[in-house]
Amino acid sequence: MGNKQTVFTHEQLEAYQVRVMGGALGQCEESGTGGWEPRGRVQSQLWTVGLALRLFYRYQDLAPQLVPLDYTSSPDVKVPYELISRMPELKDNPFRQRITQVFSEDGDGHMTLDNFLDMFSVMSEMAPRDLKGYYAFKIYDFNNDDYICMWDLEQTVTKLTRGELSAEEVSLVCEKVLDEADGDHDGRLSLEDFQNMILRAPDFLSTFHIRI
Amino acid sequence: MEKTPAWEPEASGSTTGWPAPREPRAGPSLSSVLSELPSAATLRYRGPGVLLSGALENEEDDGERSIQAFAEGFPKELRDPPASRELPWPMQARRTHRQSYTRDQVAQGSGSRAAHRALMLRRSKEKMWEGLRSLEPWAWTLKRIGGQFGAGTESYFLLLRFLLLLNVLASVLKACMTLLPAWLDGAPPGPPGPDPSSLCGSYNPHPQGLITFPSQVFNLLSGEGFLEWSPLFYGFYPPRPRLAVSYLCSTFAIGLLSLVLILHRSVSGLKQTLLAESGVLTSYSHWVFSAWDFGLSGDVHVRLRQRIILYELQVELEEAVVRRRAAVRTLGQQARVWSVRVLLNLLVVTLLGAAFYGVYWATESTVELQEWPPVQQMPLLKLGVDYLPSIFISVVNFVLPPMFKLIAPLEGYTRSRQIVLILLRTMFLRLASLLVLLLSLWNQITCGGNKEAGECKTCGYNYKELPCWETRLGQEMYRLLLFDLLTGVAVMLLIQFPLKLFCGFCPGTLRRVVGTQEFQVPDEVLGLIYAQTVVWVGSFFCPLLPLLNTAKFLLLFYLKKLALFSVCSPASRTFRASMANFFFPLVLLLGLAISAVPVLYSIFLIPPSKLCGPFRGQSSIWAQIPESISSLPQTIQNFIFFLGTQAFAVPLLLISSILMVYTLTLANSYGRLISELKQQIEMEAQNKVFLAQRAVALSSANRAL
Repeated sequence: MGNKQTVFTHEQLEAYQVRVMGGALGQCEESGTGGWEPRGRVQSQLWTVGLALRLFYRYQDLAPQLVPLDYTSSPDVKVPYELISRMPELKDNPFRQRITQVFSEDGDGHMTLDNFLDMFSVMSEMAPRDLKGYYAFKIYDFNNDDYICMWDLEQTVTKLTRGELSAEEVSLVCEKVLDEADGDHDGRLSLEDFQNMILRAPDFLSTFHIRI
Repeated sequence: MEKTPAWEPEASGSTTGWPAPREPRAGPSLSSVLSELPSAATLRYRGPGVLLSGALENEEDDGERSIQAFAEGFPKELRDPPASRELPWPMQARRTHRQSYTRDQVAQGSGSRAAHRALMLRRSKEKMWEGLRSLEPWAWTLKRIGGQFGAGTESYFLLLRFLLLLNVLASVLKACMTLLPAWLDGAPPGPPGPDPSSLCGSYNPHPQGLITFPSQVFNLLSGEGFLEWSPLFYGFYPPRPRLAVSYLCSTFAIGLLSLVLILHRSVSGLKQTLLAESGVLTSYSHWVFSAWDFGLSGDVHVRLRQRIILYELQVELEEAVVRRRAAVRTLGQQARVWSVRVLLNLLVVTLLGAAFYGVYWATESTVELQEWPPVQQMPLLKLGVDYLPSIFISVVNFVLPPMFKLIAPLEGYTRSRQIVLILLRTMFLRLASLLVLLLSLWNQITCGGNKEAGECKTCGYNYKELPCWETRLGQEMYRLLLFDLLTGVAVMLLIQFPLKLFCGFCPGTLRRVVGTQEFQVPDEVLGLIYAQTVVWVGSFFCPLLPLLNTAKFLLLFYLKKLALFSVCSPASRTFRASMANFFFPLVLLLGLAISAVPVLYSIFLIPPSKLCGPFRGQSSIWAQIPESISSLPQTIQNFIFFLGTQAFAVPLLLISSILMVYTLTLANSYGRLISELKQQIEMEAQNKVFLAQRAVALSSANRAL
């Protein structure tokens, strides 16, 4: 293709590939490939150089003063949540705060380039179903207690209907959801319950998808 | 479920939910144990702060092995070819996979030549399907329509495309089996001259004298004049035996082809529906978790989607309320509800009866009105009289369905059942009005089925009024087709576009009531099915009708697309896929079955016209076939006659019934197996969590010691 890009070094791009495997197995990775710290990160698999660059330029557009054009020295830059939430793909999404929180480094919505790339790779059409299910679970788990409880459901339903359902209707809906999906009958949805329910929803893959 | 100390619910938004791997805790937490299970393999190799205790390895030398492990840990179905190119793996994993695969292939060698051939066959079949799918026209347009207006509207256009394919194949078949043989033995002759010795009157389709241009145009629209003796209609074709056989066989071929294609389409759609919407499923959980499209951008679309979800949830809740109310009804209330329902059904039946009587009357009086002097003099009035049945049918189909929509809410059913009822009634109206038209024509042709009535005695059919009754039937179907197209275009130009334009200037409430027009999917689909039924009925009597219909559907596609994008707003209610995939092919099959009745009746029971068509002089249209069979060699004759005897039919019937019973039992047992497996999945999930908790408790107890 001959795209001579000066954003990442060749090693950095290769490192993304190795990082998938390396970081996945819990390795430490200050291995002289530019100081990446893959530990505890989402590893994205559908890497192509073109996609990486395209996403990088989108990231850079969000905060041109903050983000340098040359990532070869892998600077530690975080774009604040306010700027990310103004992206056209996320601007009107009622769940944008949760999405950015889930993928961000410290859960506060400010994302580094890695977080940004990971977010779009999971939300792309090639990510497998269980990965998407895992992240959808985290997004809908508003209080981060690893269960989708009644309160989380109420928040979700309110966001989905723009607050136009009465409180009684909201709780009715949440009860019915728990009836349908709660497999182990503990009054809240665990990741297993959620994954099982997603299995039976054929359009989950196409709706949990952001095109960029 | 007890919470282990390693895992506390944290305040929202502060830190990530999963504890970091290196913090000093009392042993592995529940989530870490769960993440080491084989089913979490995908997450482990890609997951985020998912705990990887116990899985640490050295990087460099185990890099290959780890990649190998990753590739093998992947679910089996993804490892089969086709190419690793399509898998969401990093390049290194793909390289390794390809190397290992080729190594395996070499190792297997010639021993698995059969497997290799099977593999090649599968690959080439997949490539062929890919190629065929890329040939489908308008794929991008349909995707755009689906994205902007919803799956219901897209299903209408998919049906339109399918019917277009059907009509193209039908017109090709007709052209090969009727047009070609007609010219093979020399050009067909002109209409028969007046013959005083003929018992069945004379037939002179060409008009006398000078024809003005307007009347030529009207002839084009009503199928008379120069069109009447043309390849368009049955009467034109000469009485050659081979042409007769192929003419008859073309009709059967088209019917069979349509049946096979529709069954194929409905079966694949049914499979999807049965999988996706299995009963208990997910009305509420679907709407809460998988209905939100994360890819929506733009405030308008987001609001629309929110509105749709709101509406659907409200509908579900309302249905639950109605069902609950129905369950607690006292006897008196039940009686009242049922008497209301009976009354309303009587009303519906009366309306339908009135509609059918109107259509019947219109068809009967067409002939009488044509004798009326003013009509004879003014060609425009004559055209209007010709089109009287079509006009009546269109008016009835326009007026009655809104009345059904008004009546349905009064019956006290849930909303989804109301929709089904409205659809059933509208479908009955459309198909039955066509049948009534054909019935009244039959009445004219066969003098009410009375073979001894004055006019039908000599020739078996009413030769005075209808010297060539097949052409008359063909003309009626031709006019129905044209009028349907004209009404479609007229509605669009005269109602939809002006409403859209002028309601830009309307005051607020009026604009809301009238302005936002939506694409009414069920009505439009029923209109399509009606049009296709007309073509199926008419294709025997008007061989070029499928070709005309192809042109009409092509025009309709672009017109509807234009109307959709310029006038309609996206649907505020979603359309269940089950309805589109199950109900509409069923109605299409019903239309095919209904269209077979008049055609088969005319082939077997009504004597063909003596003065026109390829079957003139025969006792019945079907009689041509036995004659042709008798010219075949003796063994083939015996075989064909055997196929018609009881000795063949009864065992066939028995075997079909046995197969059907077997299939039903199989389906039943699969259903039971599925519910058992579902229960087993639940149980296993519970087992897994229990065991993981025990493991955590045990290891923390160990550590405490």
